[in-house]
Order: sequence, then structure tokens, then C-alpha cells
Amino acid sequence: MRGQRREQHREQHREQHREQHRERGSALPAAVGALCRALPPRARPAPDTLRRARFDRPQASLDFWKLLYVLLKQIHGGRWTESDAIGAQVSFVKWALWYHGYGRPQLQRLPADGSAGSRELLLAFSWLLHSPGLLEQLLARNRVQPGDQTSVCTCGDELPSSQEGTSEAGPEERVDVRYLQWLNGRLRLQWCSLHAQHQEQCKLWYKIHLFTSGSHMDQNLGHFSVTETDLIRQPENYKQLLQLLDSETKQLEAFLEWKQLEPVYWQWMETVLDNMAEEGNMCESQNVHVEKRRLPEATPWAAKLTGQMDRLSRDLVALQEHLHQLVAQRKAAWWEKVATREELQKERFSATARKIQESTELKLRGLTSLCAPKKKMHGLCRLVLRSKHPAGRMGFGQCGSKEAVAAVSAAEVITELQVREASLQRELQQLRQQCRHRLDGIAEGLEGVICISP
Amino acid sequence: MLPAGCGPRDDEEEERPQPQSGSSTEHEDRPSPKELEELELLNRALEKALTVRKSILKTPLETRGATGHKWAGEAHAPKKAEEQQVPVSVEDVPECRNVKAGSKKPLLLKKPSPYQLRAPYRTDPDVKKLQRKVPAGCVSQGPRTAGKISSKGMTSKQGRSHRTAAGASGREVCAAAEPQETPGLSESAPNEQQSFSGGDSAAGKNSMAAGKQLLDAGKKSSGFLAESSKKEDTACAWGRSITPGTGTLQEKGCQLKLPLPYRKAYSRNSRAWERCRLCQTSADAAAARTRFMERIQTTFCSLKLTPSPAEIEEELRGLQDVPSRLRQYVEAEPADPSTLQEEYESLLTLEGVQTTVSQCLQKLQLLQEALESQLRLHPDCTGDVGSCCPACVPVRGQMCDSADMLAVPLLCYSSLQELRDLFALKLQVSMLHQEIALQKVMMAELLPVLEARPLLEGSAGLFRAIQSQLCEGGRRFPVLVRDELLD
Repeated sequence: MRGQRREQHREQHREQHREQHRERGSALPAAVGALCRALPPRARPAPDTLRRARFDRPQASLDFWKLLYVLLKQIHGGRWTESDAIGAQVSFVKWALWYHGYGRPQLQRLPADGSAGSRELLLAFSWLLHSPGLLEQLLARNRVQPGDQTSVCTCGDELPSSQEGTSEAGPEERVDVRYLQWLNGRLRLQWCSLHAQHQEQCKLWYKIHLFTSGSHMDQNLGHFSVTETDLIRQPENYKQLLQLLDSETKQLEAFLEWKQLEPVYWQWMETVLDNMAEEGNMCESQNVHVEKRRLPEATPWAAKLTGQMDRLSRDLVALQEHLHQLVAQRKAAWWEKVATREELQKERFSATARKIQESTELKLRGLTSLCAPKKKMHGLCRLVLRSKHPAGRMGFGQCGSKEAVAAVSAAEVITELQVREASLQRELQQLRQQCRHRLDGIAEGLEGVICISP
Repeated sequence: MLPAGCGPRDDEEEERPQPQSGSSTEHEDRPSPKELEELELLNRALEKALTVRKSILKTPLETRGATGHKWAGEAHAPKKAEEQQVPVSVEDVPECRNVKAGSKKPLLLKKPSPYQLRAPYRTDPDVKKLQRKVPAGCVSQGPRTAGKISSKGMTSKQGRSHRTAAGASGREVCAAAEPQETPGLSESAPNEQQSFSGGDSAAGKNSMAAGKQLLDAGKKSSGFLAESSKKEDTACAWGRSITPGTGTLQEKGCQLKLPLPYRKAYSRNSRAWERCRLCQTSADAAAARTRFMERIQTTFCSLKLTPSPAEIEEELRGLQDVPSRLRQYVEAEPADPSTLQEEYESLLTLEGVQTTVSQCLQKLQLLQEALESQLRLHPDCTGDVGSCCPACVPVRGQMCDSADMLAVPLLCYSSLQELRDLFALKLQVSMLHQEIALQKVMMAELLPVLEARPLLEGSAGLFRAIQSQLCEGGRRFPVLVRDELLD
């Protein structure tokens, strides 16, 4: 009896679901369509793919792997081609999802040939929509910029890691150290010439910005960029720019539509979860405990991160020891002075002491914000010449929540860069010091030669 | 061998790539025999530098003047021109006589620009002389141009430089009259005629900015030389249709208007961005989304409380500069405070810094643990490690608010110096990153070479090379002295 009752309940539940589904039915294709159109042009899936994935059709798997691959590559700033192998796509997607903190074990267990798992991928896709804000990130990344762009990111991860081995080893097999020196010199020369070119570019930008001040219809900008100035002279060359702007506008409108229809989509995704629950798929994960795997030290990312952490901890520990000594010294000196001086015991000094404490707190307020992760602007910014006097324009960064523009001032970036430069210099000097020690040891082994370092 | 007095050379001038300077230093300062060869080499080098420059300089004639000036300064081929024997009266022009060399460079100079033609302009008497000897087609215009050329302060640096610019560009244009350049060239030519009358009256005026003079001279010479082109007629017609009195970018820049289709597209686009930025997630959507996320997160095998690898990396990035900044604080404290108050303050500061350091160390510890637990869930890398876990993972804006991501990203600078400092620093930071990476690799490769083998007599040189490379960045060398006093 009980079993029948339960059966009936389940039937009713399913009926309700189906009804709701029918209601949503009309809005759902619109939502899915808007979602697909809000994705960047080169990575747009057909709404059918999502629908097929919902029912876990294996045909949709390959497409979905590819979709996730392309989207995640775009977020990570990587490059991809049409011909990337499915195995590589699958591993990259799995890694990227792990990186963003997606922890469903079923996903990691999907086959590497991409033949199954479209429903899991659909779940992952929906998760990505929220967790790193996939749509917003893609929009921001692919923004059409007719301006003069530069990046303000101080992270320095842009050095491409080429996995190729030694390319040119010279005519002979053994590489001469003089070849190395020559290459080094050439490298320095290239840096110098790049520097000169940048400086020249800055001058020219400045001229254009200065001379066209006041012409732009966008008040935030105030002047033209190089592209826009050229656009005035040769409009016919920039048809593609206009097309890109238009297609981006359409994409943004699709995004707005999607935002309106979002609830329908999320309810739909819940039905997917419901289905999976019914199939007993979900319970599995509760019993899955973290298997003790060997830590994969071989991955370059993990190695890099642990290296950074080690160096950071060494630096901090060294600083801590230094400070420990310093503070102990100062304290001892202070207490000596206090003991010998009578006036400190008077009331007067406690007032000044309090004042000093307050002012020091102010000074140190900056320190507490140091350890908190700052909102760093990565990505490209448009260069805008703005005189220091805002002249009654809306206060950027002063009104509370959302400003119209995320304006960063060059002065801030410069100070950040200076700090970055200082830490990098220190790191380089530390490495060089290490080398010096080791080489000094070797120098002692040199027979009959004294080495005088510069 | 680059002649010493070769045009004004300031810091910003583009350095030549190696082969070019190499080739020019091989040249002897003698006419004819190897001239073609040299010219060919120089051509190629200039072309190479030009392709670099082209990508940067998409600027109108205004700045062309400046580049012209630079080019002139750099065109150091110490040879005489061939047919275009230019009796150069100016001291620095002789070196810049490379007629054929500026093959593609004129492209930069001859952009059509309706707003850059304007009434009184200054030119240089020497331009007149230079252009006099120009081939037939050009000659007819010579006197007229010459007439317009008024003399300005010849001694001024700008004067000299723009003369050189005019000279150089003039010759180069003459040498390579390419069809696509003519519209620009000839467009300025008719205006020259128009402004001819104005030229005399303008002779006395000295109120123009130097840049303008540069620009004018550059324009003029190129315009004048356009007469020699075949497409002269059509180009002239087009040029004449431009209203006279349109000025340089400097004058008219603030009155320029973008074309209507672009303006429409741009404003539609920025309105759409603004709407997207301001649009909030509706309450039902937020609720539905949270429900979904919570449900799916219960199926995750990792603990919810550990930060994701992305978050770990982001936090680590934030911590990276902390030791440097803290050191700044510490070093800012006076070593020997004079008054009691100062001493107290300094003590408090140091203690504050100390607490921060221990906080950071704690945080770092947490991050390390989190990383370890996350790594346990790391997907197996079957096959190529590089493809699945890229070393550089520049994921941006992880911590950014979604709405902030949609705001217009602007970088505001207030002066030229600021901009230049910014770029110099950016370059310096990139360079340091690279140097550090190289240093690590070299340490790993070179030190074993020295440590492994027993040091032979001849390896002193090797030692010196490696020492300089590893410890001084290849900039300085240690001195190795024979220890002969031993015996």
C-alpha cells in the first residue's frame, strides 16, 4: 500500500513537472536562443545542442566539448584552432573546470574521446554561467575597442611558454657560450628598440589626443583615438569596425534578453538535476570520499604556484626575523629611555601617546588592505587624456556603488608598477647573489687565477 | 660609420636594428662603385624599420612631420645621391641624401587629409634648392614652391630638422612616386597654389608652433612633388574639391566630427553596454540560480569551504608584492629617531608591520593547505602535460564583480610624461620577468658545466663568460688575474 502511495506521489510530482514544463515551454526556447546569441560569434552553439544535451544524447557530446573548450580558452586567453584534437580538448576542459572549482567527479570520469556526457557538460556549462560569470567575462574580453589600448595588468604572465627545445644550436653541436652572450646582447638591443618605439608611440598618441580634445561625442572620452582619427579621413577602410560594433550590439541585446528570461533556464536546469536524482546519479557523490592520490607535481601550473608560495614564505620569514630583531632592539632602547626619564610618567605623555597611536593606526591602515586581494583590472584599457581638473564632471570612483566607467588613473598604475618592479628586482638580485656564491666557490678551484668581480 | 653631424638625434629616435647599422658601417664614404649595393642594403633595412613603424604610425600628416624629422635624422647613409645631385647647402643634409632609399617610407607621409591644408605656412629655402634638381615633372612646380618658402629661424633646431625632413621626404617622394600616394600629394599641391598668395604675407608671422612648421614643410614638399605623378589630374581634382582653409589637426582637431554611421553604431553600442551594466538579475532568477547552484554543489566532492584553484592563484597574486611594500615601510622608519615621540611612533609602526607579516604568513599557510587539498582532486593528465595544464593561465577578473566587468575600462593619464613613464615601467616589468626566467634557466644549465668538470687551464675564459652572464646580466666582466706571485 505504502509503495503504491509513494508511486502515486511520484506520478503526481512528475505530472506537475510536466505541466510546469509546458508553461515554461514557450519561454524556454527563447531563453536558450538568447543565451546562445549572447555568446561570442565564433563559439555560438545551436540551441539544439543544449536541448539534446539535456537528454544526454551522445551525439551532442562532441559539440558540447568543443563549445566548452572554445569558451574556456577564450577566458584563459589561450589560443585554439579548429583542428585541435578531441583528446586535448577534453583534458583542457577538465582541467579548466577543476581550476575554477567545479567539483563533480562524474565530469572528471567522462571518456577522453568525447563520446558521452553531454548532460554533465550541460551542468558544467550552467555552473560556469554563474561561477566565473562566463557571459560577462566573454563580453568584456571580446569588447570591440576603437580606442588606443593598453593593458594595466601587472601580473606578468604574458610570457608565452614555448615548449620547443633549443631551436638554433648553431652550426656545431656544442653551443658556445659566446653564442649565448651574443644572443643576450641582441635581446637587449631589441628591448631598447622596443622601448624607443613605445616612447615614440606615446608621443604620437599624446599629440592626437591633445589635438582632438573636445570632439568626441562621448563625454567620458573627450577626444579621438588614432583609429577614430583615421576613420574620419578614410571611412571606407573601417567598414569592418562598424560591422563588429553592430554585431556586438546585437550580442549585448541578446544578453539583456537572456537576463529577462533567466528564471526559466534555471528552472529547466533544476529539472535536469531532478532527473539525475531520480536515476540515482546523485547519491553516488555523497559516498565518494576524496581518494588519496599522489600529488601531481609534474603539472607546470602547480609547480609555478608552489614555487611562488615558497619564495613568498621565505621572503616573509626573513622579513619577520629582521623585524623581530629590530623591534626587540627598539623596545629595549625605549624602555631604557622611559625608565630614566621622569616626565614620561606624567599624564601629559599618555595623551601624546594616544595621539601617536591614532596617527600610526592611520598610517598602517594601508597595510591591512595590502593583504586583502585588490580589485585588479586586467585586460585592455582605453587610453584617455584627461586633465587633472575634472571640471565638474561626474566624480569617478567617488559615488558609491557603480560608476559608469571603471577608470584607472595612470598614476595609480605607475605606483603599482614601481612596487612590482622593486620586488622583481629583488628577486633577480637574490638569484644573482646565489650564482655569485656558487661561482666564488668554483673560482677557488681555478688554478693560479684570481678573480676580481666588478 | 655614422657621420656625427647627422641631424638632431634625441633619445626617442628609433634605434636601428642590428643588420642595418652593421651594413652601413661597412660602407666607405665614396661614390659610385659599391653604391648600388649599399643602397640596396639600406633600402632593405629601411623597409624593415618601416614595417615596424607602419604598424605604430597610423597618424595623419601632423605627426608625419615629426616622423619625417626623425627619419631624416636617421637616414645615415653616407653617400651621395645619384641623379638627384643635390647641392646641399645645409650641413646635415648631405648625409640624408638617399634618394632611392625611402622606397616605401613616403607612404607614411602622403596620407590625404582634408583638414591639414591651410593658409599661411612656412617652408624652407633649402627645400627649394633641393627640389630644383628634381626630375622633369617636378621642376615646373619648383619656382612656385620656392617662392612660397619663407625663411624662418634657421638656427632653431626645429628649423633644421624640418628642413631635413622636407629635404629627405622630398627626395624620397621624388624617387618613388607610387600611385597610391598621389592623392595625398597632389591634394596638397593645389592648395599650395592657393596659399601661394598667402605665403608672402605669412612670411613675417612667427607664431606657428614648431610642430606645425614641421608638418607644413613636410606637406609642402610632398605635395609639390606629387606633381610628378601620373594620376595628377584626378588627384588634383580631388584636391581642389577640398575646401580651402581647412587647417592642421592641431587647429581643427577640436572641431572634427566622426562620420555619421560610425557615430550611430558607436552610440548604439555604448548604450547597449550601459544597459547591460545596469541590468540587475531579477529576484526570481537569482533565487532559481542559487537553488541550482546549491544543489549542484552538494554533489561536489571537494569541501565547499576551500577556495578554488583560481581563487588561490588570485590571492597569491595579491600577496606577491607584500614583502616589498612592507620593506618600504620598514626602511622609511628613521634609524635613529631624535625625539621621544618619533621613537614611539617608529616603534608602533614596526610592531604594526610585524603583525601584518605574521598575518600574511598565516594566510600563506592556509593557501598552501588549500592548494594541496585541491591538487588531490586534480584531473589526471593523460598524454601531453602541456596541453591540459597550461603553465600560464591568465584568467582575469576572477574577483571582479560582474557589473564592474561590463563597465568601460579606461586608463586616464594627464600628461605626456605620465604616459611615457607608464610605458617605460611596463616594459621594465616585462623585461624583468623575462630576465628572471632566463636567469633560472641559465643557472640550471650553466652552473653544472662549471661544477662538473675539473677546471682546466683554458677554462678561465669560460668562467669569466659565465660569471658575467649569470651575475652581472652580461653587462660587466670580472677580471681574471694570473696569480703569478705564487711561484
